Formats: sequence, C-alpha cells, structure tokens
Amino acid sequence: MDDRVILAVRDATFRYPGAERDALMGVSLEAREGEFHAVLGPNASGKTTLLRVALGALEPAAGAAEILGRPARSWPRRELARLVGVVPQREDNLFPQRVRETVLLGRYPHLSLWGAERPADHRAVTRALERCDVLHLADRWIWTLSGGEYQRVRLARALAQEPRLLVLDEPGISLDVRHEMELFELVRGLVDRARLAVIMITHHVNLAARFADRVLLLAEGHVAESGAPGDVLTRETVAQVFSWPVAIQEFAGRPQMVPLRRNQS
Amino acid sequence: MRRWAHRTHLAGLLALAVAACARGERAPADGPIAVTDDAGRTVALAAPAHRIVSLLPSFTEILFAIGAGDRVAGRTTWCDYPPEAREIPSVGDGIPPNVEAVAARRPDLVVVYRSGPNVTAAEQLERLGISTVLFDLNRLEDLGPVIRRLGVLTGRRAPADSLAHVMDSLASEPPAPSPQSLVFIVWDNPPIVIGGGSYLDRLAALAGARNVFHDIGSPSAQVSIETIAARDPDFVAVLADTARPPAYATRREWRAVRAVRQGRFLYLPGTLFGRPSPRAALAVREFRRLLEVAQ
Amino acid sequence: MRWLILCLLGLFAVAAALAVGPAGVPLRELAGSGIVWDLRAPRAVLGFLVGGSLAVAGVGLQAVVRNPLADPFLLGLSGGAGLGAVVAIALDVSGPWAVPLAAFAGALLALVLVYRMGHVGGSGLDPRILLLGGVAVGAFAAAVTTAIVSLAEATALRNAFLWLWGGLSGASWDTVLVLAIYAPIPLVIIAAAARPLDLMTLGEEPARYLGADVEAVKRRVYVAASLLTAASVAVSGVIGFVGLIVPHVGRLVWGQRHRTLLPAAFLSGGTLLVLADTLARTVVAPRELPVGIVTALVGVPLFALLLRRWTIA
Repeated sequence: MDDRVILAVRDATFRYPGAERDALMGVSLEAREGEFHAVLGPNASGKTTLLRVALGALEPAAGAAEILGRPARSWPRRELARLVGVVPQREDNLFPQRVRETVLLGRYPHLSLWGAERPADHRAVTRALERCDVLHLADRWIWTLSGGEYQRVRLARALAQEPRLLVLDEPGISLDVRHEMELFELVRGLVDRARLAVIMITHHVNLAARFADRVLLLAEGHVAESGAPGDVLTRETVAQVFSWPVAIQEFAGRPQMVPLRRNQS
Repeated sequence: MRRWAHRTHLAGLLALAVAACARGERAPADGPIAVTDDAGRTVALAAPAHRIVSLLPSFTEILFAIGAGDRVAGRTTWCDYPPEAREIPSVGDGIPPNVEAVAARRPDLVVVYRSGPNVTAAEQLERLGISTVLFDLNRLEDLGPVIRRLGVLTGRRAPADSLAHVMDSLASEPPAPSPQSLVFIVWDNPPIVIGGGSYLDRLAALAGARNVFHDIGSPSAQVSIETIAARDPDFVAVLADTARPPAYATRREWRAVRAVRQGRFLYLPGTLFGRPSPRAALAVREFRRLLEVAQ
Repeated sequence: MRWLILCLLGLFAVAAALAVGPAGVPLRELAGSGIVWDLRAPRAVLGFLVGGSLAVAGVGLQAVVRNPLADPFLLGLSGGAGLGAVVAIALDVSGPWAVPLAAFAGALLALVLVYRMGHVGGSGLDPRILLLGGVAVGAFAAAVTTAIVSLAEATALRNAFLWLWGGLSGASWDTVLVLAIYAPIPLVIIAAAARPLDLMTLGEEPARYLGADVEAVKRRVYVAASLLTAASVAVSGVIGFVGLIVPHVGRLVWGQRHRTLLPAAFLSGGTLLVLADTLARTVVAPRELPVGIVTALVGVPLFALLLRRWTIA
C-alpha cells in the first residue's frame, strides 16, 4: 500500500433511505500527498455523497472507505479532524465573529476539553492566515468581508487544523473570476509547497482541468472516467456526461471545454 | 307587623328622599318600575319581576332577604345562602354567565355583577329580549343602593328600603376604636393581602381591628413576607371554614411574622365573610366575637 | 477588568438585596437580624442561582436551537410547569413541596414530549422542530390549564396563575439548598460542551468536520438547559427575559467563546435577577411587582445601550 495515500474509497455503493436509485455505484477515489484531485460531474451525480462516504459520515452498502488504512467510520471525530480539513459548501454563522476567532475554531481538534489555547495554537492560526493571504483582515468582523475574502478565511480555518488532507466542496461558487483564480492558485500552492493532499469538488470544469493533477468525472452515481485531465476530458466523454455538445480546446497543455450553441455542429 | 310596616315605610320614604341624591337611582314612590343600573343603563319593567335569575350569591341573598326569594328562578352554583336557595335550579358558575342556560329559565329579569365579560353577556340577554341589570357590589357602601333598586324591580320596596337603611347606617358607622391589628392573607405564594378598598377591611374596622394594609387603596395586593413582618399585625385573618392553621404557617420564612409564630389566626367562614351580603351586621358581630375569643 | 466589574456588581447586588427592605433593618443590626437571614438572604441567594441558571440555559439553547431569539421558556416548559402546579392545587395535594414538585414534573413531561417531537425527522434532534414543538406543547399545556381552572371550583386555582408569575417570594433556605445541589450538574454538562458549542455556531456539518459530536452535544445541552429551566420554574415561576437577553449582552461584552461566555452569563444573570428583585420589592412598596416585569424593564434598555456601542465599534 502506497504510504502517500491518505484517503481511499474502493467501489463504494450507497443509497439514501427511501431513494429510488443508488446515489453512488461502485465509485473509487484516492487522495495522495502532494496531489490535487478534482471531482467533477453534473448536478446530483453523487459528488457530495462521495465526500461523505469518504470521510466516514455515511456507511456504504458495498465497498470500503479507508483513511490511512483504517476504515473511515472507525476514526474518532477529533482525531480525524486533526488529519482532514474540510471546507463544506455551506456555513451558517449564527453570531457575528471576527476573522481570527473563526479561524481559531480550526484549532479545536487539537485542544483538550478544559485546556486553554496555547501559544502554539495562536501561531498556527497566524500561519494559516498568512498562507491564505488574509492576515491583514485578522481583526475584521466576518460580515464585512467580500465573498472571496470570506472563502479564504474558511480555507485558513481548515489549514489551522494542520491537516494532511484538504477537502473542499464547491469552494468557487459565487466567486468572480479574480477570486476564484486566487483560490485555485492558493490551493495549488499548498499542494506544491506543503505537500498537502487535496480533494476538490467543483463545477468549474476548466479550472479543474488547469490546476488539478487528477480528475474524477461522475455521472449519475457512477464513474464516467478517472485519470489525468487530458485523458478524462475528451469531447465524447464530456458531451455524454453533461448532456450537451462541447468542443475541447487546448490551453497551456490542458483541455478546456467550450460548450457549443444549438445551431453549431 | 302592621305597625312595623308603617314605621319602616315612613323611614323608607325618608331614606328614599335622602338617598335620592345617591348613586344613580330614580325611584318614584309609585308608578313605573325603572332603575338606572351601574353601567348607566336604564332598565324598565312593565310589572314587578317574578322570574328572576341571580348571577351572584350576594344578589341571591338579598332577594331572599327582601322577601322575593320565591321569585328566584335560577341561581349560580356558588349561591349557597339561605339554604332554600340550594333548591333553585343552577345555571352554572356564572363566570362567565352561560347565556343559554339563563335564557332557558325564561326569566323576566337577570341580575348580574358588573364586570367586563358580564357586560357582554348582558348585551346578549338583552338581544334575546330579557331585561338585565348590572350592579357593582364590592364594598359595604354598595349594599344599600343595590338593595333599594332590587326592591323597586321586585315591587318589594318597603322591606328593601328598610334593609337598605340598616346597611347604610352600618356603612356610615365610624370605625370602632381598634387596639388590635390584623392582616388578611388570601394567598401565600406570592403573598396576597387584602387592602383598604375592600369589604373585609371595612368589616374589620367596624369590629375594632385595624388592617395593617389599610393604606393600600386597592382591594388586594401582592406584598412580601418581610413587609407583613415589618408591620407586625396582632392577628392573621384567613377565610376558612375550619379552624386549622394554613399550610404555610410551619414554613420558616413565614415565622418571621409574629402572629404566625404565635399561632394567632382568625378563621372567618367563607359564606359569611367572603362577600358583601345583607348579613354584614351579623358578620361584624361575629368578627368581634372572634377577636375577643382569640384574646 | 470586565470580570472585576462584573464581580463587584454581583457583590453589590447581593449586598443591596440584604440591606434594603420594608422592615428597615439598620446596617449595624444586619448580621443578627432574623429578617435578613430568614427572608432576605435566601431570597438573594435563590435569585442569584435562578438568574444564573436561566442565563446559562439561554446561552446553551440559543446555540443548540440555532436561534438567537430562543428563550428557555420557549420550549413549552413554562406551560408544562403551570399545568403541573394547577393539577396539584386542583387535587388539593398537601405539603409545601407539592406545588414545586408538580410544576417540575409538568415541565419534565413537556421536555420529554418536545424531545420526542424533535427526533421526528429521523436521526438527530432537529432544532427547528424543537422550537416549533416547544411552542406547540406550551400552547397545548396552557390551554389544558385554562380549561381546568375554568371548570374547577376552587378559587385557589386562580391564584395558581399568580404563583406562576410569582417570582422569588417563596424563597427559603430549603429551596436554596435543593437548587444548590441540583443545579451544578446541568451547569457542568453545559460548561463541558463549551468548545463543541463554539463549533456549532458554524452549522452542524462544519462542526462535525471539526471534530464535534454534534448529536450528543445537542441532546446533552438541550436536556441540561431544560432541566435548569424546569427547576427555575418550579421554585420561582416564570421569569422571562433573563434567558433571552443576558446571553446577548454577554456576547457583546465577552465575545462568542463559550468558555468565557458561560461563566460570564451565570454571573450576569444572577446579578440582574437579584437587582431586579430588589427593585421589584421596593419600587411600589408596600406592594411588589412581578419580578419578570422588572427584568424586562431593566434588561432591555441595557441591551439597547450595548447594542449601540457594538455597532459603532
């Protein structure tokens, strides 16, 4: 077993209670150190479900999900949180907070029940803020931040956990070009320099193709294709999975998808 | 009997004349039967009422006391005096009045205590064509005017006026000299006491006991145990039919009140003391006796 | 610094409660006075315990139910307690502990009902259902209570409603002792959940990924907060606003972290209630105001003041 593999899902099948069909059918995924793994697919193709199975939040009916060789569901939550930093799609802040406070929450998996925060914790927070380029916002209230700044703060919180694996669920939604590019550059930098493993679910096929090392393309709960972006994102595959005709053009050695209009061939 | 009737008739006329300026009555010696009730309504009857529904125990007592008891066709479940009243069919507890039950007794007059919900019931009864009078009856002074007007409505003016005269003189008596003090405790948690605006306070004053909370204008008020202890009444008066100390008497915090500590309780039977009634004079005498006995 | 001010305020509140009262005990004689030791002291201590408990329950509940407007009494507990008290009085159950125990039992019954309702959606406690269920159970209990009162014959039942709004007038050292033994357990349970509660302000899913056992925390904190509230109603009736406003004031001054917020809320709630009770006892002397009115009159302007400071900052 490759000891750079942090998380591995093998042939997982899962159906939500009362659903008509399986949400996942025989899906496999591996997250390796120093690798940016993008998960793509149309709506309801099972991307978020895969995430939950991979992290042990859901039990697959068939197949296995393992983290560092142990079953994902057997991991105690706090221990898992010291290994995996997750930035979920939605976050609903109940009460106003400052940036530094909210990033500090990322240190909680390292804190004991009654113990106070130590200097090492504050240093980790500062480091995380620096890496995400939001240190200058540390004392701001989060409701004063722009969308892009807020996403970077959430990423900083996940980094404060000092994880080996970073999981992001659609982090680029509602971000404009600049902020989305900044986010992807940031993540790529973490993969390259800090050797983090990254799994990112995203809608943005083209950015995934530019920045990711591996792509998993899901369609209706099963794997359509998996591998390097150039191998996965072919015209036939993409058009079939997304049910829309596309052209594939190359840019900087990576495939870029161009959706066609109705009267084009 | 006859001489008495004459004398009281004279006295009644005199009292009527004197009382003519008093609270909203219009009572000619003979002629149309009409009164103004305490809601400002004028109620007129073609003939003296002979099927009356009474929605307050005090009204029931008054009707019996003026000799109109045989005309009472309906009463509330609370109307327990005189004993004959218990044989009259009940129309419910009257809080609020059950209009249908009242109407089912086919009354030509309904006597109601004036309060918010009762005004609504009165309007409903009026819509059914049933004459209704609303009276205030909270204090000793209210008894005279109510008795008089009921006398007019039932054609029993003479007995009513003489009874009213008795009530009025009682009400105008000055308080007896009061070497003793008391507090009326109606509820313990939170402590509720009777204040100066009430019937019980007046009875106590006439019987020769000073209510330590006489200075509170309203009929009842919430106070603290400490206030009661600070005012140090000689007795604690409770409305009770049995002579047993109330449950709170054993609690440590209540023993800060001297009268509780010493077990100096006055037990006032509810049926006699609980409401303004024609037996007020009897109540005052009983009160005096209880005070003497408790010495 | 803030802690120092809070502690001083608390001490001042208790001292004022001991020194002030209609019996006019001179300061020299305070220590030896029966009035002070049998009446004012237990009342002040009980007020502090109840105020603190309600405030902590409010903090916990607002985090679990994910609603900053949650008040401990929104959960149907006051309705249940009222029903319990009325039933005890209607059945003429004797003994000084009859009504408080019955009220407590009624509140617990309401708790169980709402708790089961909250599980209706499946696996975990759904905060929205807790809130709605609480309102529904409370309204139902209130309706049954009113029905009993209107049908029954004892005038004592009407006074039962007064008890429900009664406040601290029934304070005794016995009540203080019972609460002092009972309250620390749920208080500690909520305090131990301080870190997970911080995480839960982000939402249940993010909290889970940060290592919180969300379901267990929700259950524990909800039950503990309800137990604190049930005990408070049983000894002192319904005192509103403390559980709603003190958590917010606490957040404005001490921030979001429950580690500091919870103790601060306890001290603030206790201080507020003792001050309010002293005012309730003296403002319309010799009469008393229901203490819940005073907590609102004192708490709301205070909150508005702090809110202004915070939004300007």
